[in-house]
Amino acid sequence: MPEPKVIIISSDDEKFPVDVKVAEKSILMKKMIEDLNPDGLEEDFEIPTPNVRSTVLAKVIEWCTHHKNTVFPDDDDEDARKSAPVDEWDKNFLKVDQEMLYEIILAANYLNIRPLMDSGCKIVAEMIRGKSPEELRRTFNIVNDFSPEEEAAIRRENEWAEDR
Amino acid sequence: MSSPGSMSEDVNNVPEHIGNNAFNRDVRPTESDEQMVRQSAGRSGNDHRPGLEFQMDNDSNDDYQDLRNAIIKRKSSAFVYRNEIQKLNYANSLLLKLPTEILLQIFHYLERKDLFMLLTVCHEFADLIIEILWFRPNMQIDSSFKKIREVMELPRHKTHWDYRTYIKRLNLSFMTKLVDDQLLYSFVGCPKLERLTLVNCTKLTRHSISAVLQNCDRLQSIDLTGVSDIHDDIILALANHCPRLQGLYAPGCGQVSEGAILKLLKSCPMLKRVKFNGSSNITDEVIKAMYENCKSLVEIDLHNCPNVTDKFLRLIFLHLSQLREFRISSAPGITDGLLDLLPDEFCLEKLRIVDLTSCNAITDKLVEKLVKCAPRLRNIVLSKCMQISDASLRALSQLGRSLHYIHLGHCALITDFGVASLVRSCHRIQYIDLACCSQLTDWTLVELSSLPKLRRIGLVKCSLISDSGILELVRRRGDHDCLERVHLSYCTNLTIGPIYLLLNNCPKLTHLSLTGIAAFLRREITQYCRDPPPDFNESQKSSFCVFSGQGVAQLRNHLNQMIQGRAYLLEHGDVNPLFQERRRYVHDNNDLEEDELNVWARQRGLGFLQENPEANHDVSDVSGEVFRELNEGSMGPEEMREHFQRLIRNHHEQRLIQRHIAEQSEGIQARLHNQNRNIQNAPQLIQPAVFPNRENNPSFAGETEGEDVEMQPVDLFPSNQNA
Repeated sequence: MPEPKVIIISSDDEKFPVDVKVAEKSILMKKMIEDLNPDGLEEDFEIPTPNVRSTVLAKVIEWCTHHKNTVFPDDDDEDARKSAPVDEWDKNFLKVDQEMLYEIILAANYLNIRPLMDSGCKIVAEMIRGKSPEELRRTFNIVNDFSPEEEAAIRRENEWAEDR
Repeated sequence: MSSPGSMSEDVNNVPEHIGNNAFNRDVRPTESDEQMVRQSAGRSGNDHRPGLEFQMDNDSNDDYQDLRNAIIKRKSSAFVYRNEIQKLNYANSLLLKLPTEILLQIFHYLERKDLFMLLTVCHEFADLIIEILWFRPNMQIDSSFKKIREVMELPRHKTHWDYRTYIKRLNLSFMTKLVDDQLLYSFVGCPKLERLTLVNCTKLTRHSISAVLQNCDRLQSIDLTGVSDIHDDIILALANHCPRLQGLYAPGCGQVSEGAILKLLKSCPMLKRVKFNGSSNITDEVIKAMYENCKSLVEIDLHNCPNVTDKFLRLIFLHLSQLREFRISSAPGITDGLLDLLPDEFCLEKLRIVDLTSCNAITDKLVEKLVKCAPRLRNIVLSKCMQISDASLRALSQLGRSLHYIHLGHCALITDFGVASLVRSCHRIQYIDLACCSQLTDWTLVELSSLPKLRRIGLVKCSLISDSGILELVRRRGDHDCLERVHLSYCTNLTIGPIYLLLNNCPKLTHLSLTGIAAFLRREITQYCRDPPPDFNESQKSSFCVFSGQGVAQLRNHLNQMIQGRAYLLEHGDVNPLFQERRRYVHDNNDLEEDELNVWARQRGLGFLQENPEANHDVSDVSGEVFRELNEGSMGPEEMREHFQRLIRNHHEQRLIQRHIAEQSEGIQARLHNQNRNIQNAPQLIQPAVFPNRENNPSFAGETEGEDVEMQPVDLFPSNQNA
């Protein structure tokens, strides 16, 4: 008899059968599997993810599959998590448009996949780094909602934050 | 043993935790021991967050967590008003739509200057970022300090936001020269202030400090270390306004009355860490109030509080089982009865640090009880507890790997035996101070050499210590030694040779004190030593010899240069590798013919090495000469070089006579080998030391047989006794 699978169901009802090991990259799913199957999986187990659409879920599962054997630094070790550079594979994997990137981050947040969420946030931080306010507005599709006087005052009063 | 300038001994060797005056800080600018200890001591168990902010913001991640939670809470409860443009932005920008939680996670990966750029992008971001930036205003560097000061001194209606409402951490101890009352007054009215750090802000007075505390009802900790104008006003302001206070460091509280402290203890039941030093107003009544009101105390520091007795401390030890650090000094009322109420077993499981400096009434009995009750003690300071003897050290040895830090300065009763039993059981000792334990001999160094994690050794005024001991220490510990601080002031028998090797084997060495040792009090050496403290008198200044930081590296370089040209003289054991190196040095990649090499060697007085490589002892005798010269001579380097070559030639001629000595010393070596087998943890054999010349150290082995070593350790290095 084949190993029972975890069937993840997207918001648009697409079904993704995956190995337990892959699903368990999500702490949310891991807890669900453990709580509802205290004696281990005996048959296929369905988990609906009502706020993740199928294209995003497919990406997230791709990530989980790639990293099924990766050991990540401890969640509590903020220092290690903050200083670690983004994994090269992740960097390529996350070369997607902003909408997809944010949706992946949201899904990772919802499903509690810390390392994926960290990579995503670091990629966004990378997009922010070194840009002027005007460039930032262009990048993120934002209109300046400060008056010139306001903007000048805010800059003046917070200039210290520019110093290293 | 009396030496000039005993005051400087205290400077070099004052227990690291007594930061009692400015002078002290000047003397030890690169002090890292305390931080090290604090980190190793304070970061286990559940108490991850020290109540007080120390010199560095090392807990910024915890801080960010707090900040993040606060912002998320605020955002989730507040109704967000958006004008038309803002609505448009919110609709168009996907980034803006991300939940606050995720935005904050992204901002966490950015530096302050990037956040500054985001600040003026739009209101939505500004609202989050302003709170992050002002959570802990950066007062660490000159330029931003001044800019913040300007903003803070503007009247409220002239600034865009009321920045005071965002500040939760305020640390003014980086730019203490710029911190005055006027500055602190500009921070009056920070309702969310949680931590206030004013370490060494010596210009501040009680007026501005008590003013800034008004309305700080969320204050959790205040560090007033180094602030001298601490009076009742400050303590009463804390008592009246800061009911959530958990940490209070006020070491300079000598002028504060007993009544004010009692009021504080009664008003701040959450206190976890208190430091009151140098006060005769800390009385048994105060201790009683601590016991009755502050049930969560984890740290009590009462250095120089002479009126404290163990009357109520007994209750604290009996009932406050979470107590982690306890320090007191110069309190004659602390007796062996301190732990009398405790049952005779494991009960102070959290206790890590005990400091009983100058509590002269205590004896080995208390130490024995302490070890039984607190088996996980990490740091123990018993300096100037004159009745402490080897029995205490034997008791402490039961702490095993728990013990990391031990200070036994001025415990003059202790001997090599005590040190041996301690060191053999407690492998993780990183810090050991044995200053003025005048009975200690080189055997102590042999024992210390087996501690793999040792970072600091204090042996000031252990005047029986000799070159042989240092050499053994260096040789047994090998190169890449992890030692960082070595205090050898007033070990008057020391000479340059062993210190040269010590320097070269300890790449991490940042502090070396050699005050009052004649061999080093010469211009060419002392030029690298740091300035003596300004309040030293002339004789203290003239014997001051302490190297730290860059000075250590400079001294190392100097000695290397001085000795490099003659490196072959100093080698003992197998000379061949050295010879090969010379060959490479002389004739880069080409292999020299043996003949050429011999010519080269003979020109340098080395011919006999080639002919008779076994004659190492000849060499070591010459190097004895070398060091006599290095230590006493006043020749220039060139002059010295010639002189040595001459010496070597003479030596060559007298080789037959020398060989006789060599044979003799081989006999000695064999005997030492025998003895050595009786010393545990000895990684290598003892060989006769090379550097100290034989006139000063006439022999290495006494007449004793190996079996006696354990019983009569002094005989291992009897020269000291004879000298």
